[in-house]
Amino acid sequence: MKTTEEIFSVPLTLFPETLQWSNFTGALELAPFWLYMFNSAFTSVCIVVLQVVLSSMIAYALTQLKFRGKSLLFNSILITYMLPAAATYVPSYILLSKMGLLDSLTGIVISNVASVFTIFLLRQAFLQVPKEMIEAARSEGANDFTVLMRVMIPMCKSTIFIASLIGFVSMYNNYLWPSLIVKSQEKYLITVGLNRFFTNVGSFADTWPLIMAANVLTVLPLLLLFVLLNKWFIKGISDNGLKG
Amino acid sequence: MKRYGLLLFFVGIPLIPLLAFWFIPMFVSLWLSTTDWDYISPEYNHVMLENYQTILTSDNFYAALKNTAFFSVMTVIPTIIFGLLFASLLKNVMKGSTLLKSLLFSPWITPMVAMSIVWTWIFQPDIGLLNQLLGLLHLPQPSWLTDSNTAMWAIIIVSIWKNAGWAMIFYADALSKIPGELYEVGEIEGTSWWQNNRFITIPLVSPTTLFLIIISLIDAIQAYDQIQVMTQGGPAGSTRTLLYLYYQMAFEQFNMGQATALSTIIVILTGLLAFILFYTSKKWVHY
Repeated sequence: MKTTEEIFSVPLTLFPETLQWSNFTGALELAPFWLYMFNSAFTSVCIVVLQVVLSSMIAYALTQLKFRGKSLLFNSILITYMLPAAATYVPSYILLSKMGLLDSLTGIVISNVASVFTIFLLRQAFLQVPKEMIEAARSEGANDFTVLMRVMIPMCKSTIFIASLIGFVSMYNNYLWPSLIVKSQEKYLITVGLNRFFTNVGSFADTWPLIMAANVLTVLPLLLLFVLLNKWFIKGISDNGLKG
Repeated sequence: MKRYGLLLFFVGIPLIPLLAFWFIPMFVSLWLSTTDWDYISPEYNHVMLENYQTILTSDNFYAALKNTAFFSVMTVIPTIIFGLLFASLLKNVMKGSTLLKSLLFSPWITPMVAMSIVWTWIFQPDIGLLNQLLGLLHLPQPSWLTDSNTAMWAIIIVSIWKNAGWAMIFYADALSKIPGELYEVGEIEGTSWWQNNRFITIPLVSPTTLFLIIISLIDAIQAYDQIQVMTQGGPAGSTRTLLYLYYQMAFEQFNMGQATALSTIIVILTGLLAFILFYTSKKWVHY
């Protein structure tokens, strides 16, 4: 098995006469990767924050409030989880173009804020909050907002953290949908930018070091995040996958 | 009255994006699939089931269906097997080494686009790592991505490499929950390594297996990034899957009617497969 380290070592062992650092500056001169990375990180953070806020609201309603059509709502969400996202691409694309949000970062953020996965995860976590705690808070006169903010969210900190982490990684890595939406260079996300760069400079032997350098730049932030938080990642993935 | 306001807030607001980008598009997509809309012109005709008819009688569709089926089977099964193998190696030989776990898992966090680019280089016919290694061993050196016989295999290799570590995490968790006494009993009765796996490990991780099969199958049907980067569906359509065909119809040819009809077919196929898996799972999944 090879690891991402291979990306570091492979161009070095094969082109040892090339200085590694010049490849990085070379890649950065040909395409504004910092900008792409900023775009990706920025949209991913916005999406994750909105996803968590909206999902915790609906998860709260699904677990704590009584209303008609609750099970219908939950079942609809359950079914959407199983369906390929691709089935929504054409209408969503049309909707974004009607809203004038094609080729904008706002478009990417807005079309991604509904996360069925996060709703599931949070609903599952909210269900495990002991009833006594909620009742105790209510008897002290807490309303729904306070219960959500003061009881549910603090009790489910770790799930929320993991949902954000997974959301961030998948949004940073997302390719197909953003590549449909953004057309102008300065709005490219890193995945789109990287692939355009790859197709533009072509796969000639002498450009491979540059491509690899760009690759390393792309992967670096995620790798750092992963190294720092890898226990959380691994634990979160295995725990939540089985619960869902 | 206050109750409605509350509901409107907690359900209404989150429901807007959910409706706008999930529920409604599903139905709009279904409706579009009965039209001949081309995205640009404001007019369209209702052609009813003609789009479905065109797709179901076209060779492209069956070629893509075959590719998708082949790709799915060839990635899902090895992903599951490697995942279980790595997890049990970690448990029995490496004693749960976190470093190794992270190394095996790290492909999952790297963007598929970045990974596919690195692999494109590995698969290069003359300068790529793989063929240089094969050359050292005096084995045949296929031209991987440009040969329609090997291109799909190249994509399959990348997909397995990316997902095996991910499957391993689930299995590692499942394995750690198997009570040690079960193996001790086996030891007293003198069971072999194979019998241990056959009668203890595999049945006890079967819920994880079902979960992983369903998730990886949905993933495989939706594979796009690696195909786009590495082959663009070529050579000669040999790596064009259903989703790739859909993408080409919708966003290259702007044939929205046929594209949405195809997406409906993909949805039906996915649903059918999930249903069959759930149904047959009663026979081999032990909770």
